[in-house]
Amino acid sequence: MAINVDTVYKTVLLILNQQQRGYMTPDEFNKVGTQVQLNIFERYADDLNQQYRMPQNDTNYANRVKNIEDNLQFFQRTGATVYVGPHFTLTPTDIYRLGSVIFNGTELTQYSQRSEVTQLLLSPLTKPTNDFPVYLYEQDLLYLYPTTIQAGVTISYLKKPADIKWTYSIGTFGQFQYDENGAGAQGFELNVSEQTNVITRILAYAGVIINDPTIIQVASQEIAQDEQNSKM
Amino acid sequence: MARPDGGLIQETNLQYYAGAQIIYTSVNLTRIYTFTFNTSLSLGSATSWNPGDPDFGLNNFRIYTSPNGISNWTEFITTFTLTVGSTGSVITLGVAQPLGTYVKVQLKADAVQNNYGGYEYIKLKDIINNFMVAYVGQDKLIPNVRRSDVIFHAKRGLQEFSYDTLKSIKAQELSVPPSLSIIIPQDYVNYVKMSWVDTLGIKHTIYPTQLTSSPSESPVQDQAGNLVQDNFAENVDGTSQTNTRWQGANTRLITGAWNQQDLNNGLLLDWWGENWGYNGYYGQRYGLDPVTTQTNGWFNIDEKQGTINFSSDLTGKLVMLEYISDGLAYDLDTRLPKMAEEAMYAHLNHAILSTRANTQEYIVRRYKQERYAKLRNTKIRLSNVKLDEIVQVMRNKSKWIKS
Repeated sequence: MAINVDTVYKTVLLILNQQQRGYMTPDEFNKVGTQVQLNIFERYADDLNQQYRMPQNDTNYANRVKNIEDNLQFFQRTGATVYVGPHFTLTPTDIYRLGSVIFNGTELTQYSQRSEVTQLLLSPLTKPTNDFPVYLYEQDLLYLYPTTIQAGVTISYLKKPADIKWTYSIGTFGQFQYDENGAGAQGFELNVSEQTNVITRILAYAGVIINDPTIIQVASQEIAQDEQNSKM
Repeated sequence: MARPDGGLIQETNLQYYAGAQIIYTSVNLTRIYTFTFNTSLSLGSATSWNPGDPDFGLNNFRIYTSPNGISNWTEFITTFTLTVGSTGSVITLGVAQPLGTYVKVQLKADAVQNNYGGYEYIKLKDIINNFMVAYVGQDKLIPNVRRSDVIFHAKRGLQEFSYDTLKSIKAQELSVPPSLSIIIPQDYVNYVKMSWVDTLGIKHTIYPTQLTSSPSESPVQDQAGNLVQDNFAENVDGTSQTNTRWQGANTRLITGAWNQQDLNNGLLLDWWGENWGYNGYYGQRYGLDPVTTQTNGWFNIDEKQGTINFSSDLTGKLVMLEYISDGLAYDLDTRLPKMAEEAMYAHLNHAILSTRANTQEYIVRRYKQERYAKLRNTKIRLSNVKLDEIVQVMRNKSKWIKS
């Protein structure tokens, strides 16, 4: 389940306003929220890499690799490709990172650099075949070898998190009222387990916006401690 | 009989034994049918659905339709397309079939035969995929490896296994022509046995000869012994006199198996130099050399010409050439007996770990030993020693061994 954007915004406002420190407009919140979501999202790959190198346990809820993979699953997608000339164009437009290239539903193709493909093609034993194809990924285009492959190629990828948009209508007192069905409404796509993290990080940015070092300090300490705990 | 139910058997009895699969049309006007043979369906060309197409003969199947699935099978010769995917071979018929029609794909005889006994083997592709699943990944000795590396080591392994571990299953039956030479098979790597076949169909081993060899070059010489060059400044290569003489040789002069013709030709003389041999003949041979004292003939391999040359006494004989290939020549060859599957995994582990930087030497040694042990085990398995057969052979021991 993803994080509710309204809950986050209201919690942030609550904390900020508690001591009349300041206010964060929906537009500021949207921009900061987007930034925070990207920050957290981009950390996943590094965290996962780090955790892969550490021994894991076999429990349901405390396996860090599994937990990070749980967080990533919100962004995992599959998509189609279209063969145009010597290459395939990727149909999805929100690709953050290309995962696997799949041929005929099951055959995983191997990613290669151009120089490596040249070497592979030179060796009769490793020359790509329909059973063991390879691909190049250049300029957002896929080049598949053997070149007889001209259809049946799909991809898996991580999508880029969408920009946050807390949509609202104007209430009777001129206040902003949350409208979840407003035009372009977009909530957080992160796992609900990241809610605290998101709020803390937004508060840290809010501290910068309203120029309040206390907020920045508290939030930063919270973030640092949280990160340390999650990686120990 | 059991139907495929999630085990390793993927084909029904009809598919395996008869090479046929019948699909009932349960939705009116169906065009798409998926057939799940072990053998992928293949077309000679995109237009070879047409019996008039030159590539029609290259298709490995035919399609039939019937209103009742029992009789009145009519060959479907209207346009259709074929797509081979992970779910099977998908045929899209140009003409939609009405509800109740039975559509049958019948593999051709070659394709059916090639599939027989297939359960004895595992495809190299499956070996590679199994290896990637079971031996490569997080918390394993090989955390990651490029699949092309695994493919390389697997193919090299198959080649090595083919040379000295796997059963030799390739054999050509040929007649020795008057030229006494036959061309080495296209996928030949080494011979296992050469024999000639008698009228009972029994094989008699033909031995390779050390008596002669085929020269790699026979340059033409002038009177002074200098080599002669052609207009392109290359030595002129002539016909090998050694080959010619060997092909024309009277092998009885080597084996000592003289016959009346040799006598008439004055090749045999008695003590008085006469050829009627009153008291037997002399001087032709003192003792016997087992290498040459046999009448099965000889062969030698001309590496330059790529031919196998036979001695002249084998003209017109039926010969059997049993040989080994490297297991990679044809798609059908790229498979491994299941008896050797574990040895291949051990080979892959060792090949990858021993070529990887920073692998502890004790791990490499462990896999080296494992590979050796499993390969040995495979050789024992494939040597196919059965107790009853050994007992039968041993019954011979009651016979006297004459010296």
